[in-house]
Amino acid sequence: MTEVLPDAQPAGTRQAETEPRYGVGERRKRFDALGRVRGTIRYTGDEANPPGTAFVGVHRSTAPHARIVAVHTEDALAIEGVLAVVTGRDLHEVLGDRIYTGPAFADQPCLAVDKTRFVGEAIAAVLATDPDIARAAADEIAVEYEELPPVYDIDDALRGEAFVHEELRPSSVFADLAHLHGVRGTNVNYEYRQILGDAAAERERAATTVSATTWAPPTHHVPIELPSTSAWVDSGRLEMLSTTQTPSYVRQTVSDLLDIPLSRVRIMTRPLGGSFGCKMYDRLEPLAAALAWTTGRRVRIDATREDAFLLTTRHGARVTGSMSADADGNIVAVTSDVRYDTGAFADVGPRIAAKSGLVAPGPYRIAAVDVRSRCIYTNKVSAGPFRGFGVPQVTWSHETLIDELARELGEDPYRFRRRHLLREGDIATVGTKMHSADFLTCIDEVTKAVGWDDPTPRGDGRWVHGKGVAVGMKAVLTPTIANATLNLNQDGSATLLISTVDMGQGSDTIMSQIVGEVLCLDSRRIHVVRADTDATPYDTITAGSRSTYHTGNAVRLVAEAMRSKLLGFAAERWGVPADELVLDAQGVVHEAKELRDSLPDLVRAKFGARGATVTTAENFTSWWVPYDHDTGLSEKVTEHWFAGAAAVRLAVDTWTGRIRTQHLAIAGDVGRAINPTLVEQQLTGAAIMGIGHTLFDEMVFDQGQITNATMLDYQLPSIKDLPEKLTPVIVESAHRDGPFGAKGVGETTILPIAPAYAGAVRDACGVRITTLPLTPERVLNHLADAADPGKAGR
Amino acid sequence: MSAGRVHRPETLEEATALLGELDDVMVYGGGTAIQILRKQGLLFTEDYVDIAGIPGLRDLTVTDDDITIGTLVPLRRVETDPRTRRLVPVAAAAYGQAANPRVRNTASAGGNIAHGDYRLDPPTALVVLDATVHLASAAGSREVAVREFFTDFQETDVRHGEMITAITVPRQPDGSRSSFVKMRSLSENDWPCASAAVLAVPEDGFVEIRMGLGAVAPTTVYLAFDVTPDMDEQQAVEAALDIADSVMDPIADIRGSASYKARLGRVAVEQAVRSSLKELSRD
Amino acid sequence: MNEITLDVNGTPHKVAVEDTTLLLDALRRRVGVTSAREGCGVGACGACTVLAEGRSVSSCLAVAVRYDGTPLTTADGLPEDDPVVSSFVDSDAMQCGYCIPGFVLMTKELLSENPSPNDEEVSDHLEGNICRCATYPEIIKAVRLAAKRSAT
Repeated sequence: MTEVLPDAQPAGTRQAETEPRYGVGERRKRFDALGRVRGTIRYTGDEANPPGTAFVGVHRSTAPHARIVAVHTEDALAIEGVLAVVTGRDLHEVLGDRIYTGPAFADQPCLAVDKTRFVGEAIAAVLATDPDIARAAADEIAVEYEELPPVYDIDDALRGEAFVHEELRPSSVFADLAHLHGVRGTNVNYEYRQILGDAAAERERAATTVSATTWAPPTHHVPIELPSTSAWVDSGRLEMLSTTQTPSYVRQTVSDLLDIPLSRVRIMTRPLGGSFGCKMYDRLEPLAAALAWTTGRRVRIDATREDAFLLTTRHGARVTGSMSADADGNIVAVTSDVRYDTGAFADVGPRIAAKSGLVAPGPYRIAAVDVRSRCIYTNKVSAGPFRGFGVPQVTWSHETLIDELARELGEDPYRFRRRHLLREGDIATVGTKMHSADFLTCIDEVTKAVGWDDPTPRGDGRWVHGKGVAVGMKAVLTPTIANATLNLNQDGSATLLISTVDMGQGSDTIMSQIVGEVLCLDSRRIHVVRADTDATPYDTITAGSRSTYHTGNAVRLVAEAMRSKLLGFAAERWGVPADELVLDAQGVVHEAKELRDSLPDLVRAKFGARGATVTTAENFTSWWVPYDHDTGLSEKVTEHWFAGAAAVRLAVDTWTGRIRTQHLAIAGDVGRAINPTLVEQQLTGAAIMGIGHTLFDEMVFDQGQITNATMLDYQLPSIKDLPEKLTPVIVESAHRDGPFGAKGVGETTILPIAPAYAGAVRDACGVRITTLPLTPERVLNHLADAADPGKAGR
Repeated sequence: MSAGRVHRPETLEEATALLGELDDVMVYGGGTAIQILRKQGLLFTEDYVDIAGIPGLRDLTVTDDDITIGTLVPLRRVETDPRTRRLVPVAAAAYGQAANPRVRNTASAGGNIAHGDYRLDPPTALVVLDATVHLASAAGSREVAVREFFTDFQETDVRHGEMITAITVPRQPDGSRSSFVKMRSLSENDWPCASAAVLAVPEDGFVEIRMGLGAVAPTTVYLAFDVTPDMDEQQAVEAALDIADSVMDPIADIRGSASYKARLGRVAVEQAVRSSLKELSRD
Repeated sequence: MNEITLDVNGTPHKVAVEDTTLLLDALRRRVGVTSAREGCGVGACGACTVLAEGRSVSSCLAVAVRYDGTPLTTADGLPEDDPVVSSFVDSDAMQCGYCIPGFVLMTKELLSENPSPNDEEVSDHLEGNICRCATYPEIIKAVRLAAKRSAT
């Protein structure tokens, strides 16, 4: 299953050790495994609260769309223990329009100022001596609203009778949004088009066309760790400890919000107790910074579970698409109209609309495409990034279409896909060449694992059986910037400074494996410093499966720079050319002259001190060619691709509609597995999360209000929801520029799960379901419709 | 929770006196449901009578005829105690499906039924076993058949000033066989979408089928009919479904529409009836 | 206010709590325990699990006064060579790790009641603990290994 890799041994090193190094490719344990098991590693919320800490309770809007006429705070202020009550207007008086922040549009006030845009929006903050008092007092705040017509869904929004925002306010972050500044009278904040050839004409000429409108509902990330942010002012600097995947971004946001230099902002992190995209960009941090700065108090905001549901969601998305084939079965046209419901704030929705739109046709050889992908405001809780970054929603569409097209043509869904999948060197519809995206091996491996060609059981009248397969394609976030600083300690250990946040994926572990591999050190002697913007260098974000490749490359470079520096020390000491020296597990060696020095001796000799450090710093920045404004095409839209596949065998209970997973196999091309154990955990973890999205995971809204915002009602996969058999397959098609060939993996297998299941349901009982999740009731309703000729249809 | 007054009587008399005197008062037993409802902002009761200090309420006692479950006996003990498993297996099965093992360690048998939630698993077994609920008040004590106990949506026959002290469950009749089936519509550890406890009691060639249905009507429902010697299993199932259909009145929510829950209710009934009858025929 | 003694991992802690103070809050804010964590607040995720006399409790639903003097175990109180702890470590049964102490304690309880559970009994006992990273396959391996190690 894995292709043979080129010799990854870095130049200038040699194998000489007998002790294991726990380097690249090894199943090394997380360095803090014992602490994670016994619960002794400290997460953000575990830090003690110094005396004087003000705990924050938030009063939230009860109106989906309304002018705020008055905020009555007297009753809250009268409660013993309440230190202050702060409204959006109070903050606006001090901070002005800087109170509006956001990664794409400056449209998120940390407290609503003159208008509220969703049920649950933060209206006022209570600062109190105790968290319970703060929350109780927040309930005593009374708000007078003047209701405005609400925009509950994307259909309302596109009718254009009411507008969530009076005018669009692009932030300064993305140059390509500047033209939207001041646009009024729309709820569409971004539109991406991809035009290749003449899809309408090709479709007209095609022999066969299938169409489908798919819906993927909003879902929530529900990491078990709740968001928590503390902020305080120290010597004129704003310092913060927060549950964030994006410390470098937050630093810039706080600097802009408070109008102070970056040097006066410090953002600290701890390991995250899961995130999956919800602890990114502007969550609790702008409010905490504004409250600490304006009141001078040390503040702490701990989200409750109910609060967390109101901070962000995954975008609900509707896709209306078609796929056409000529008489020979070649795919000649794909059309796709993608509509993302971004809720009250754009957040990073415009990027999601674009990045997902560019893969909306699917990873196939297609002659012509017409994609229109829009990001649309509504009066609901804001949607933002979620593992997969909008791509699962478009994968749900293109994999539904190709599955139906195969069936329409009487072809096997696996082999039909295989025939059309993009190969190495092919040009994707977006115009970018494929490299290190081995879809063929992925789909071959998963179908082999589930015994695709074995006969499907006949069933017993109640249970029916089926098999399904799907692939998923995603571009890595590009361009992005990663920096790394490495301190080699005189004793031969090392300290790595990066701003990647370990949230369970194990980045601290694999980054040390990369350093260890380059420097021939036991990777367990390398410590990775937790992101702290006073110490660790800028890194765009820990998201989009970009860290292994981008930060991993910066880490590889910084370790290589260290190796050069160390060889230079030895060359100077021995008076020999550096290129005659090699670094191995014992230190630096000149073989011909039989000179040898251990790293501790070498560094001590250089500086004459025990405990000295040697420092190197490096940067890795990926580049792209921005897509064409009109066609959406680019010869290099991304640094690399993620390729994944899933195949499933399942049984459907025709009495209840319930789906039982007998065998799910998933595969992802990771380039090279730096740590196969951690890779497998990402493959299976993303797949199981995908099972939840497929079968029951869904935020339910009634008139814009979430009705299942507790973990009793918002259901997540439990240990009992596992497939009877689950097979992860690592595919390694090395990336020419990846660190040791590696790429990321965190999102790859969440992409194809839902369409693989829906294809299997189609195979088992002949119904095509295009709305997620595939709840038993929905399955049963489709079975009933299929049985009733009067209601036939999809 | 920051608000709320907690009273800690040490005798039943003190407890019932408090319950009679205070206006807005609840018994605090295991406390799990109360905590959840308070946190969700659905319960604003001011006074709680914590009955943990009253002796005798945690006892599980067995006589020749029945098992008496003290109001504070945790659900998990009903599930795991060898005596309940032997003597009232349908109760052990139903109690063992409520919430999760950790919550069952804390949630109490009395609190479970006092809650009056139409979806709960244990009441389905209690009604088929014809259990009796013991209530105490300052005025004395009384007993209510559990089949009369659940009066309406989230309402029970517990009157102001009363508290549950115990539940007496008759042993499953000799030769009877039972089954408990729980259907879920979301994850596998979700609340029930429909549940059915069935007890098949053979007598003189007839088989009495007793059914307790959960989550398919505003209260737990009890139904019974006889399978006559001329009926085969299929006819028995059809009879069971006929009478089950007549009472099903589910409440639509995120777990399903009323019609879907009724459908699951039928599946639960069919599975539980078939399973009980198969067990019987194996004897 | 009530003066109570929380006996945590064999060490008594005298603390003052309100009638309604939750056991989780008392442990975290008064005793300094960090291995029990609030995840859902409604007993549905298991992150706040502690053992009281060996029985699992959702400390987010329990009032502290009920546990005056009761021997409590939290995951950080287990030794490194505890068979359940070492089995979770050796099975890589963690990703972010936030929920894992809860799984460890549920496993302790399970094995004390049932030293050689089958897979169904394992999942019946752990069904109320949510690992959002979905490390379930490794957790199942860890419980099997722990059963083996506890038996020897």
